Amino acid sequence: MSTDSLERAQWRGAAALAQREVTRVLRLWSQTIAPNVVSSVLFVAIFGIALGTRIRKIDGIEYQSFIVPGLILMGIGTAAYSNTASSLYQARFDGFIDDPVSGPMRARHLLAAYLAGGVVRGLAIGALTLIASLFLVDLPAVNPISAIVVFLLASIAFSALGVAIGLIAKTWDQQSYVGALVLQPLVFLGGVFYSIKLLAEPWRGLTRADPILYMVAAARHGMLGTAEISIWLCLSVTLAITVALVAWAGWLVGRGTGLRT
Amino acid sequence: MTTPRATDLPVPALRCRDVRKTFRGEVDALQGIDLEIPRGAFVGLLGPNGAGKTTLIRSIVGLVIPDGGVLEVLGHSMIGAEAPAARRLVGYAPQEVALDRFVKVHDVLTLHGRYFGMRTVDAARRADELLDVFDLESKGKSLPSTLSGGMRRRLMLARALVHEPALVILDEPTAGVDVELRDELWVYIQKLHAQGTTILLTTHYIEEAEALCDEIAFIRAGQIVMEGTPASLRSAHAVERLEDVYRTVMSA
Repeated sequence: MSTDSLERAQWRGAAALAQREVTRVLRLWSQTIAPNVVSSVLFVAIFGIALGTRIRKIDGIEYQSFIVPGLILMGIGTAAYSNTASSLYQARFDGFIDDPVSGPMRARHLLAAYLAGGVVRGLAIGALTLIASLFLVDLPAVNPISAIVVFLLASIAFSALGVAIGLIAKTWDQQSYVGALVLQPLVFLGGVFYSIKLLAEPWRGLTRADPILYMVAAARHGMLGTAEISIWLCLSVTLAITVALVAWAGWLVGRGTGLRT
Repeated sequence: MTTPRATDLPVPALRCRDVRKTFRGEVDALQGIDLEIPRGAFVGLLGPNGAGKTTLIRSIVGLVIPDGGVLEVLGHSMIGAEAPAARRLVGYAPQEVALDRFVKVHDVLTLHGRYFGMRTVDAARRADELLDVFDLESKGKSLPSTLSGGMRRRLMLARALVHEPALVILDEPTAGVDVELRDELWVYIQKLHAQGTTILLTTHYIEEAEALCDEIAFIRAGQIVMEGTPASLRSAHAVERLEDVYRTVMSA
C-alpha cells in the first residue's frame, strides 16, 4: 500500500462510499427517482390544474404555481430521508456495513458519504419535478439563490435524519414508520398546499411550530417571491435544523450506534 | 551487554492486554484477554461456541469496542484516536458471508480497496489479481447473489486481502466449504503466510489448525487459558493429538 497520509486515505474511502451510494440511486432509478417525481407531478396536475381553477389566488399567485415549491421540497425531503435510512438499515441488516466501517474512515467520512447519496437523490428528484412543473405552470424564480440554498439545506437535513434513523432502527418497519408517521405529516402540515395566512388559531400557532413550514416558505420566497414569513427567519430555522440533525447523525456515527458494539 | 529498551523491541503484529468486554452489562464476553502475536506468525484461536472468539476478532478489527484493556495492531491502538490507522492494517474475512448485494463482484473488491484508502486504479488492478487467484475472473461482472456458496466464500477471502493487510483475520473461513475448496483456500493462505503476512485463524477443524499454525491459543469463557506451539501443547499434556489437548483444556 502507498504511504499516502491517513487523511487522504480516509477521504478516498469516503469518495468510494459516496460513489457507491450515488450509483445505487442511479442504478435503481425506477425505484429511487421515478415514483417520487411522478407523484409530485400528479399533485401539481390534480391539485393545481384540476382544482386550482376553483381556488382563488394566494398572495396574487395562481394556486397551481403556489403549491409547486412545497411539492419540490416535499419530494427532496422524503427522498433524501428514505435513501439514507433504507440504505444504512439494509447495509446493517445484511452485514456488509462492516466493510466500510472496519476501514480507516472516521465518523465524519462515513457521514459525508451517506449524506451524499441522500442529497443527490433528493436534488435529482427536486430538479426533475421542477423541470416537469415548468411544462404545466408559471414559475418566475424571483430569488433563485435562496431557493437553491433552502433545497440544498433541506436535502442535507433530511439525509441526516435518515442516517440517524437508519442507525437507530431495529426493524425495517421502524425506519418506515418515521417516514410515514412523522415526516410525511410534518410536510403536509407545513403549508405545502396552503398559506399560513388562511389558517385560524390555534392551527396557525401549531403550524408555526412545524419546522417544515419555514423551509416551504423559503422555497416559495425563492421561486415565487412571496413573503409569508421573513426569509431570514426561514433560512435561519432551516440552517439551525440542518446543523442540529447533522450533529445528531454525526454523534450517532461517532459513538458507533448501529455500527460497532 | 545492555538491556534493550522497550522501543528497541520488535513491535508485535497484535498485542492484547487485559481486554474486556461486557454486553448489555450482563454477558462477560471477554474477561481479560492477554494475547501477543509476533509479526509473521500464523496463530490459531480455538475454543467452543460462545467462548469469545468472534467478540475478540471483532474487537481486533474495530467492530467491537472493548470496555477496557490494551489492544494494539503493529503498535497502533485499536481504541481511541489511533484506531483508524490500526484498522487500515487489518484484513478481515468474517464467518458470515455478507456481501453488498447492489455491487458487482469486481466492484466489491475495488470498493473495499478504496474504503481502505487505495487509489481507484490500484484497487482495480488488485481486484483483477485476486479474481484470477481465486478463480473468479469470469464472475467479475456478476452480482454476488448469483454466485455459489463456495464462490461467495472465496470472494469474502479475496475482499479481506485487497488492501494487502499486515494482519489477516480469518473467522471460520472454511465453515461449510467442500473439501476441494478448503484445500485450495489453505494453499493460498499458506502462500500468504510464507510471504510474511501475519494470520489469526479461528476454526473448529482442530487438525487443520494443528497442521497449519505455528502457535495455538485456546480461549474459554472469555479468557486465553493456554497457548503455545502445537508440539509444546501436545508434549505438556503427553498426548499425540492436539484434539486431546483441546478436550482436556476445555473440560477443565
